[in-house]
Amino acid sequence: MSTRIEDLAELHHELRAVARDLLAKTAAESAVDWSLIARSGWLGLEAAAEFDGAEATFAEVAVILQELGRAAARSPYPAVAALGVGALNELEPGQDRDELLRDTVSGTTIPVLALPGEAAAAPFRLTRTPHGVLLDGTATFVPDAPTADRLLVPAIDSAGATVIVHIDARAAGMSVARQPVLDATRDFGSVVADSARPESMWRFHGDSDHALRRLHERAAVAVACDSLGLSEAMLDAAVAHAGVREQFGRKIGSFQAVKHACADMLVRVTVARKLVEAAVRSQTGDRADAAVTASMAKSYACAAAVDIAGKAMQLHGGMGYTWESGIHVYLKRATLNRSLFGSPAQHRRQLAERYSSIEYS
Amino acid sequence: MTTSSPDQLDEFRAGVREWCRTHIPAQWRRAQTDVSDAEFVRFQQDWFQELRAAGFAVPHWPKQWGGGMSLAEQVVLYQELAAHDAPRLVLAFVSIHHAASTLLAAGTEEQRQRHLPAILNGEIWCQGFSEPGAGSDMAALQTTARRAGDGYVVNGQKLWASGAMHADWCLLLARTDPNAPKRHGISYFLLDMRTPGVDVRPIRQATGESHFCEIFLEDVTIPATRLVGPEHAGWRVAQQTLGAERGMTMLELAERLGNGGFRWLVRLCARPGPGGTRPLDDPLIGDRLATLEIELTGLRALCAELVANDHPGPADASIVKLYYSELLQRMTDFGTEVAGLAAHTELHKPRSSGWESGAWMLDFIGSWEWTIPGGTSEIQRTIIGERGLGLPREPTGH
Ligand SMILES: Cc1cc2nc3c(=O)[nH]c(=O)nc-3n(C[C@H](O)[C@H](O)[C@H](O)COP(=O)(O)OP(=O)(O)OC[C@H]3O[C@@H](n4cnc5c(N)ncnc54)[C@H](O)[C@@H]3O)c2cc1C
Repeated sequence: MSTRIEDLAELHHELRAVARDLLAKTAAESAVDWSLIARSGWLGLEAAAEFDGAEATFAEVAVILQELGRAAARSPYPAVAALGVGALNELEPGQDRDELLRDTVSGTTIPVLALPGEAAAAPFRLTRTPHGVLLDGTATFVPDAPTADRLLVPAIDSAGATVIVHIDARAAGMSVARQPVLDATRDFGSVVADSARPESMWRFHGDSDHALRRLHERAAVAVACDSLGLSEAMLDAAVAHAGVREQFGRKIGSFQAVKHACADMLVRVTVARKLVEAAVRSQTGDRADAAVTASMAKSYACAAAVDIAGKAMQLHGGMGYTWESGIHVYLKRATLNRSLFGSPAQHRRQLAERYSSIEYS
Repeated sequence: MTTSSPDQLDEFRAGVREWCRTHIPAQWRRAQTDVSDAEFVRFQQDWFQELRAAGFAVPHWPKQWGGGMSLAEQVVLYQELAAHDAPRLVLAFVSIHHAASTLLAAGTEEQRQRHLPAILNGEIWCQGFSEPGAGSDMAALQTTARRAGDGYVVNGQKLWASGAMHADWCLLLARTDPNAPKRHGISYFLLDMRTPGVDVRPIRQATGESHFCEIFLEDVTIPATRLVGPEHAGWRVAQQTLGAERGMTMLELAERLGNGGFRWLVRLCARPGPGGTRPLDDPLIGDRLATLEIELTGLRALCAELVANDHPGPADASIVKLYYSELLQRMTDFGTEVAGLAAHTELHKPRSSGWESGAWMLDFIGSWEWTIPGGTSEIQRTIIGERGLGLPREPTGH
């Protein structure tokens, strides 16, 4: 038992080091080279060996997600690895699905799950018409939809079950419009289906509502990982600056107001890390507490990240407020993360719904 | 890492549950409200022996001294004790944590043999570090211990010593070398509180109780065999004591707060108020409860990690102490707010309860028992900044 945990810790450590190194080579605001990501094997971390995957778990994907946050990197990786592959793994196997999974792992295709970044309901519908089955609906703030070539659209079929519709992003009746946001490191799109013809419709293993809920939880946890990583980066930056910048003949880090602000940032990052770890663990094991841990991690880590990035801006003084310093990039990303896939208040509301019937341990 | 398998742990939990159902004195809260000091002490001693008989009094001690529970088992034990609202070992707090860990880390074999079994038999300890002129700046202490024959003669005054009026022994810091730099002239002693020249005077505190005391020391003789660690090296030993205060004790406190205390809070919020509505029906209340639950979950995970870690980081214990104490404050503050005016009519809280007893106003006032002692929140932040983050040190000013 303990050796496995140590092995894993070592594996994560290596993965983290490689990711940090690779991401450091990408210039600010440009997208990370997709073929490099594919060659690193990160896309297939959660895929089975038969699809050329590494048969690892979400815990390893989480390491990469955190590093992307730390680098404030621009990449569809979170959308593809956390959501695309996550969805494909939840679906019944079949020739088309298997093929798509294999292509995703190799990086030759970029499938994006059309999960709206704001509302939680599945907004797409399938209707049977004399001309065949047609897809209609709209999802807004879908992460990386503009980059996708394939779309995985969660839709309610005529029997009321949620299925995944596989469709070319440029198929007739489909349109993806870029939704520009202030955070320059992110790409969002609104996906509209207007009597589009699905290429294939795939079913989830087991209960489809459960599967969709799980995907929402994964999305929330993925964002929490990103926020944790960017919080760490901002804390490091603030501490480094406070250790060299001098005023009144002293390093500003020796002023208590500054030191204590940094100490509070460390406490929050430390707590966020524990909550994110717990959420990642429950995702990995399909545990009963997955919804609870996801909500806890999402609301705490994403709220903390905004405060931490804000504090980092403050502690850098006038320099922190410049475009050049790059801190605004993090502050914008953190603030966007806070709203993405459920605000802290929304997640806390879900937690609070349990209080009338809670069981403790 | 623990070796308890999930099945063994489940079995252990079932055993603890059964024990709790049959051993926790019914109605102890009522019985412990408005009781005399003597009754409180008797109750604490009896409860200690009850726990000891079950092997639950000092689970964190090494096996040879009567402990030896795995970390996972300790967590389960504290969860169940909290869930069943067991009384706390408040009187033995310093004995089983501060004194024991100091003796285990720095005491002589003779000192351990003398005191560890005695603690199990109910010996009570207090901690005499602070002085009127030495609080946050503990190294400024002025109490002197002058070598005389095979002992020391101690003179000075200690302040804020919790539980000193009930204590048999005291962990005492005194200056043995007045000429050495502040931290290098201090020695660490075990003081028998019945030694002639020791005068204890309780001080009334913010909650109305008198839990902490002044200790006046006038020509008090301490044999040299009661020195802990080398002469003049007491500062380092004291760090061990403070480490225990900020480390090991936290596991139980976090479970108490996150499990027992939070339960009180949810119950409070679910109780219909004067208009028939429950505080819980207000989404803002739900939001704040959820915020606290999230923070408590983080705290419990942090504590378990701290205690499991053989090589904690230089500021880990401070992070946990700071976070626990301020979360305790936020939670009891919120409880007081929700409970409204009724909270102000609870004039006494049951003795032997934790820092979260459900008497919210008194608990809120009592929360300063954690943000001030053992290094104030400000001092913890400085430690975290300097040792945890490597930020430049404070100028010393002299
Ligand atoms: C309930 C309770 C129980 C206690 N039990 C014990 C006990 O059993 N044994 C024992 O020895 N002591 C005990 N103490 C004493 C406790 O450790 C001290 O009160 C504490 O260390 C603070 O010292 P002080 O009271 O002298 O406050 P001061 O040190 O005078 O502090 C006053 C204020 O100034 C701030 N301050 C001081 N120095 C700095 C600095 N360098 N940077 C920033 N802020 C600073 C403090 O944070 C605080 O806000 C207890 C105290 C309380 C309240």
